[in-house]
Amino acid sequence: MVDPISEPGLHPLANIDQVIHAPARLMVLTYLYVVESADYIFLMKLTGLTWGNLSTHLTKLEEAGYVELLKEFQGKKPHTIIRLTEQGRVAFRIYRKSMAQVLDDLPD
Amino acid sequence: MSQKFSLREAERKAFTISFDDGLWDIFLGCFFLEFVIAPFLSERLGDFWSSVIFLPFWGLVYLAIWLIRKYVVKPRIGLVKYGPARTAKLKKFTLLILLINIVVFILGVIALFRFGVFSTQIYPIILGLTLLVGFCVAAYFLDFPRLYIYGLLLACSPLVGEWLYTYRNASHHGWPITFGITCSIMILTGLIIFIRFLRNNPIPMMETSVEGR
Repeated sequence: MVDPISEPGLHPLANIDQVIHAPARLMVLTYLYVVESADYIFLMKLTGLTWGNLSTHLTKLEEAGYVELLKEFQGKKPHTIIRLTEQGRVAFRIYRKSMAQVLDDLPD
Repeated sequence: MSQKFSLREAERKAFTISFDDGLWDIFLGCFFLEFVIAPFLSERLGDFWSSVIFLPFWGLVYLAIWLIRKYVVKPRIGLVKYGPARTAKLKKFTLLILLINIVVFILGVIALFRFGVFSTQIYPIILGLTLLVGFCVAAYFLDFPRLYIYGLLLACSPLVGEWLYTYRNASHHGWPITFGITCSIMILTGLIIFIRFLRNNPIPMMETSVEGR
C-alpha cells in the first residue's frame, strides 16, 4: 500500500513541522510570535490551557529548540518567562508558508 | 475552531487581555470628576486653584490603580512584553496625542487673543471636539472600543450642559449634571469589569507572576 503523504501531489504535507502542527502548540507559538516574551500565567490565560497541559507542550517546544524558558523563584513559587527563539521564529514562518501552500494547492 | 484566528487577532488579544480589567475606566472616570466638582469649588477658590486642587487627587487615584495593578491584577493575569509592532503603535499613539494637545493649545491661544475670552458657544464646542478626537485616537490605537463611547459621552457633556444652562437654568453650565452622569457611567462600568475580572481570574497556585526584585 502506498503512503498517501509520500505521493507526489501531497508531498508538501510531509514537510509540515509536526512539533508545531498540534493545535495547542500552534496556539502557543502564535502568541509567542506576536509578543517579545510572556510569563507562564499570561500564556495560560491567553491559550486557556491548564498548567499541566501547557507544561507538556512547552517541554516539547523547548526540546525542539523553538522556545526558551527562563525560570526563577519568588519564595517557593516558580516564575517562568517564555520567549520564542530565533530557530522557533524561523520554523513558525516556514510552517505558515508550507500550510498556506498546501491549502492553496487543494482543488475546490 | 469556529472563530477566525489570525496573527493580528492574536496580537490584539495579547495586548487587550493585559489591561482590560476596568481600572482604566475607573481612572478616566475619576479624572473627569474635576468637571463635576471644580465648578462648585471655583466659587470659593477661583478657577485656577479649583483645578490645581485636583492634581493630588489624580495622583492618589493613579497610585491606587498602579498598586492594584501590581499586587492584584498582575498575579492573576501574568506579565507580557509587547512585540515591536505594538510598541511602534504605542509610540505613534503617544506622538499623536501630544500633537492633538499642541494643536488644541495653539487654537486655544489664538481664540483667546481673537475673542479676549472664550465665548460660551465656542468653549463647549472646542472642548467637546478635543475630547472626541482624543478618545477616538486612543480607542483606535489601543484597540479599546469602549473609549469611542466614552469619547462621545464626554463630547456631548459640555454641549448638553450648555443647553441645560440656557434652557433649563441648570447651575454651572450644567456640567455637574452632564459630566456627573458620564463619570458615573465610566466608573460603574470599570467597577463591574474589575469585579468580573477578579471573579473570573483567581490567583494560580502553581506559578507566580511577580517579577524578580
